Amino acid sequence: MIRFVHTADWQIGMKAAGLGDASQRVRDVRLDSVERIVELARERDIELLLITGDVFEDNAVDRSLVRKVGETLSRFRGQVFITPGNHDPLTPGSVWEHPVWEENSHVHVLRDRRPIELENCVLYPCPLKEKYSTRNPLSSIDASDTHKVAIGLAHGNVEGLPDAEPDYPIPVDAAQKAGLDFLAIGHWHSFSPYKGSDGIVRMAYSGTHETTKFGERDSGNVLLVKIAERGAVPQIESLRTGALKWLTLDRSIAQADDLARLSSELKAIEDPGNCLVRIRLDGLLFMSARAELELLNEILTTRFLYGFLSIERMTPAPEDDSWIEELPVGVLRESAETIRQQAFNGSDEQTRLVATRALLELFELKEKAAL
Amino acid sequence: MILKRIAVTNWRSLLGAVELGPFSDGLNVIHAPNGTGKSSLFEAMRRGLFDVHHVKGNEIESVRPWGRDLTPSVVIEFAEGSETYRVEKTFLSGASSKLSRLEDGKFQPIADSRNADTKIREILAAEAPGRGLSKQEHWGLAQVLWAPQGELAIDKISGSANERLRAALGIQMSGESGGQIEEQIEARFLEYFTSKGGYKKGKFAAPIVNLQEREVEIRSQLLELRQKHQAFEEAAHSVDDARHRRLQARREADATRETVDEMRASVERFDKLKSEQSNKRETESLAKKRYDDFNNSFLQIKTLREQIASNEKTAAILQDSEAGLEKETKSARERLDKKRSERESARNKRSSISEAQKAIDRARAYLDQQALVDAHNKRINKLDAIQKELEVFKQKRTRCVAPESKVLKKLRNLAAKRDAAKAALSASQIHLSISPENSIAVEDLTDSSKHSVGPEETASFSGDALVEIHVNGFGAIRASGPEGSAEKHRKTLEEALGEIEKLCQPFGTDDLERLQTLRDEADAIERSIEALEERMDTLLDRESIETLKQEHAEAKARIAEIEKQYGDWKKEAPVLSKLQKDFESLSLKINDTIAESEGAYEQAQISLSASEKNLNEGQAELKVQQAGLDTAKKRIEELLDGGLSDEAREKAISDALMSWQAAKAAADQAEASLKEIPGDPHRDLKKLEKQRTALEQTEASARDAEKTAEGQLQSLSAEGTYSKLIAAEEELVELENRIAQESIRMDALKLLHGTVSECRSRVIASVSAPVERSASRMLSRVVGPRLGELKLTGEFVPEAITPELSTDPVALSNLSGGELEQLFLIARLALADVLAKDQRQLVVLDDVLNATDSGRLARLLSLLEEVSDRLQVIILTCHPERYRGLEQATFVKLGI
Ligand SMILES: [Mn+2]
Repeated sequence: MIRFVHTADWQIGMKAAGLGDASQRVRDVRLDSVERIVELARERDIELLLITGDVFEDNAVDRSLVRKVGETLSRFRGQVFITPGNHDPLTPGSVWEHPVWEENSHVHVLRDRRPIELENCVLYPCPLKEKYSTRNPLSSIDASDTHKVAIGLAHGNVEGLPDAEPDYPIPVDAAQKAGLDFLAIGHWHSFSPYKGSDGIVRMAYSGTHETTKFGERDSGNVLLVKIAERGAVPQIESLRTGALKWLTLDRSIAQADDLARLSSELKAIEDPGNCLVRIRLDGLLFMSARAELELLNEILTTRFLYGFLSIERMTPAPEDDSWIEELPVGVLRESAETIRQQAFNGSDEQTRLVATRALLELFELKEKAAL
Repeated sequence: MILKRIAVTNWRSLLGAVELGPFSDGLNVIHAPNGTGKSSLFEAMRRGLFDVHHVKGNEIESVRPWGRDLTPSVVIEFAEGSETYRVEKTFLSGASSKLSRLEDGKFQPIADSRNADTKIREILAAEAPGRGLSKQEHWGLAQVLWAPQGELAIDKISGSANERLRAALGIQMSGESGGQIEEQIEARFLEYFTSKGGYKKGKFAAPIVNLQEREVEIRSQLLELRQKHQAFEEAAHSVDDARHRRLQARREADATRETVDEMRASVERFDKLKSEQSNKRETESLAKKRYDDFNNSFLQIKTLREQIASNEKTAAILQDSEAGLEKETKSARERLDKKRSERESARNKRSSISEAQKAIDRARAYLDQQALVDAHNKRINKLDAIQKELEVFKQKRTRCVAPESKVLKKLRNLAAKRDAAKAALSASQIHLSISPENSIAVEDLTDSSKHSVGPEETASFSGDALVEIHVNGFGAIRASGPEGSAEKHRKTLEEALGEIEKLCQPFGTDDLERLQTLRDEADAIERSIEALEERMDTLLDRESIETLKQEHAEAKARIAEIEKQYGDWKKEAPVLSKLQKDFESLSLKINDTIAESEGAYEQAQISLSASEKNLNEGQAELKVQQAGLDTAKKRIEELLDGGLSDEAREKAISDALMSWQAAKAAADQAEASLKEIPGDPHRDLKKLEKQRTALEQTEASARDAEKTAEGQLQSLSAEGTYSKLIAAEEELVELENRIAQESIRMDALKLLHGTVSECRSRVIASVSAPVERSASRMLSRVVGPRLGELKLTGEFVPEAITPELSTDPVALSNLSGGELEQLFLIARLALADVLAKDQRQLVVLDDVLNATDSGRLARLLSLLEEVSDRLQVIILTCHPERYRGLEQATFVKLGI
């Protein structure tokens, strides 16, 4: 019986572009979550931690990050095995040359393909040595003659995407072919198990331990794998490790009070400090909704770790013309009508966007003058 | 406003106080000749109404009458609305301002100083000038209504005047709230944009500008960081490459080291074989030498024996021929002696040639000397004759006593002096003449001399100051005169006479003519002497006569000397040509004889030296033969020293030959086995070792390169470039997002502002239409339909015309000067008409319509009359006759 945690794609030091002030926090959280993995493994009394590549976003990340990761891992009681991935390949000057990897005898960076025989299992590592390759990283791995549980560690793209350039291609039946009980792979950020021809899952992407962006499915987990003996069916359990929620709210506004409903919805979200929210609105824009939109934006930017509101796809409501009639006859009303027409019928999106925005500005100034 | 009255004091050319008014509410023509202050009057009105009293600067200074320390001031009375005001303004020294209002028939002050300035502006809706004097744009409505001299054209109408025009036309641009919103739009626009529509920069820059600047900055940072990151990756590659190169070099060096070891073994074997071979070759060469030595000495002995025999034979023959040669030589020497004595005797005859030559030379000298003596004789005779003549003249000169020319000249002067003195003396005396009818006796009482004077005679008596005579039978007659000067003249006369006497004494006469003749004679003698002496000099030709005579004597002596040797020549002089002929035939004969004997002598000498040479050669040859014989005999003795027999020698030679052949075979065998080793193993080894060293060096340098690359990589990786890179990339994305957002907002503001301005312009453009219509009508009344419609800008400034026959507007610059002034006057009148809707307004035209012909002028005048129903018009001109057609006008002549 062997129990181990499989994780990958920590992408420590990764870029968090477009998140404004939240960027650093988002980056820091990825390190904190590593701590959580170590705690989780300790709680569950795990003896083995397998990390299959892309621990770091790049070989040139700040060296203090390398030391932090190394030191966090050193607090794990069992054995740690790491195979470098395509983001942190074993090249001269790589993160793996950092002295921290020599400081703890139970943290191993696997630098070649020699199998590692442990008490209850044999590891078959496939460390990557360059960023790109058209080779199957598992080629020449053959575990058929071992009696212990055979576990492969690799990093690459599982074949199946059409028209994809081969980049460390891993056949869907790689585990079976190599005679492995389980093939732990990294590279994709979402948890993805693969069934062999016998219907048994012997290969899986653990996914990243902390979500990296909006719209990422099934990420923020590690896998707890149990294998009773050589040839037994692996028991795979996904454990939550991610601290941040990445929410995307796409809403269509049809009526003036739809916005108020959205505000309430936002207010109801728990733990907003660890939540990143992206709201994309389309539908009709009532100028009188300006205040509501502002409130929405305020909630987003003040309560949440990160908030973003896009109204670019909204168009002015055609029936929303009473405020224009309130404008004095002459120059202003004529101008307002001209711009409104542009907002409806502008030749391109940018023109319509600008015109809509101009209407909002005019509306605001009109309100201000009325006070 | 309506102008009631104006008084100007000390304003440019207007000295003292000039007052005009009250003016009519209709047409007024103020006229005066050029330069008498019409424009100054108008200027004073403008300054009084629109300028602050305390204004300073050159412009206002120039208002002060030139060269006077006077204070310009102006008083204006005007009506505005229902009120009548009076402005009193003084500029420069003692500047002051006062505004009064007519209340109950009396002007009561309502403001003074700066308050007055401000108040007047309020009443006239004028604008405050900045620093310095006001410009047209500050004049409010007056910028439309008033045309200063030369400024009839309208370039610009200020905002407030525009407002008034629009208000008068009943056009409300926006309501009050609309105005507020428009202001807000403008304010918000100007928060981010300049009035020209660009983003604001600098301290109050639009946020997008800062964002864009930061974007540029971050992009350049990013570029650097990307390069650095790339450098990191490249460094990793270089380390990898260096490692491969080092391993490859080591592999190659190892391989070469093995080959070098193998090659060393083969070199050792090669060296051993080589030394063996060289030993054997040495043995062989020793044997060969021994054989050669034996063989050679035997051959030499044989050759020497033959040589000795031949030498002895040759020596015998040579000794025989030597005796004959000696005899031959002796006879040749005797023959030579004989020829030599013959040659000497022939040569001795050569002295008679030189004798003959000498006789010729002497004869020539003798003849020359003879000729010289003859010439001398002639000259000496002539000289003697001249000498005698000269002697005669010299005696004559001694006898002739004549005064020097200098003395003569002095005498002449003295005579003149004497005559002058005589005349002066006579003039200074009293003279008395008596011419009696009968003879009388007269006694001069002065000197008691007595005279008798007959009839028809005249007696004269003279005396200094007094003449006193006594005539017998008549009595004494006394004549007296002035005293004094006669004495002086007499003294002068006496001095002159004394001098003359002294000078003339040696010549026995004081007759000047005679003295001159003497002088002339002496001069003639002198000239003859000079002529003779000159002739003598010519003959002597710079010689002295003594020299000539000495030469003569010497020549004679030389002739006697020659005659001593050649006595015949005394009797008969030698003939040169005969002597020469004799000499030539003699010398020819003697020279022939000498040449002949010399030839014979040379022949004998040649045959002697030939004999001697033969003899010497024979003797030398014999000596050589004998020496060769001696040497050969000595050498053969040496060679035979061993005393071996010829047979024994032959045996020894054969033995030596055999042992040489044996040694040679052994050496050849050794060489053959050496040749089995290919090439030069030493050279190959050296080459290989060099190769090994090079490879080792390559390995070392690859190791160095690897270390360097590793060092670079380490320092780059320590930097954590990626983390810096992503920080910059994140900022860039953030910036790009914000710029996109901001640029939408900015574009929106620009769109809003632009659209509003455009709409406003459109509205404004329609505003000027009524004015355009009325102006166009007036224009067509004055100039006919040719110019068509007048176009005004939204700000009421004339900008073009649309002629009837053209669809496109024509710029005003295309019009003639006359039409332009008519057009602008009409535009002003049309605008003034609009402004006069609520109340009568003052129009001032200073010296306009100068380029307008009389036909159009008449039509313009009737137009002016028409508008004077609604406008007060003041025309300033120096041509009042042009405006006489204005029947209702009040004419005011300035200065009266
Ligand atoms: Mn990867």
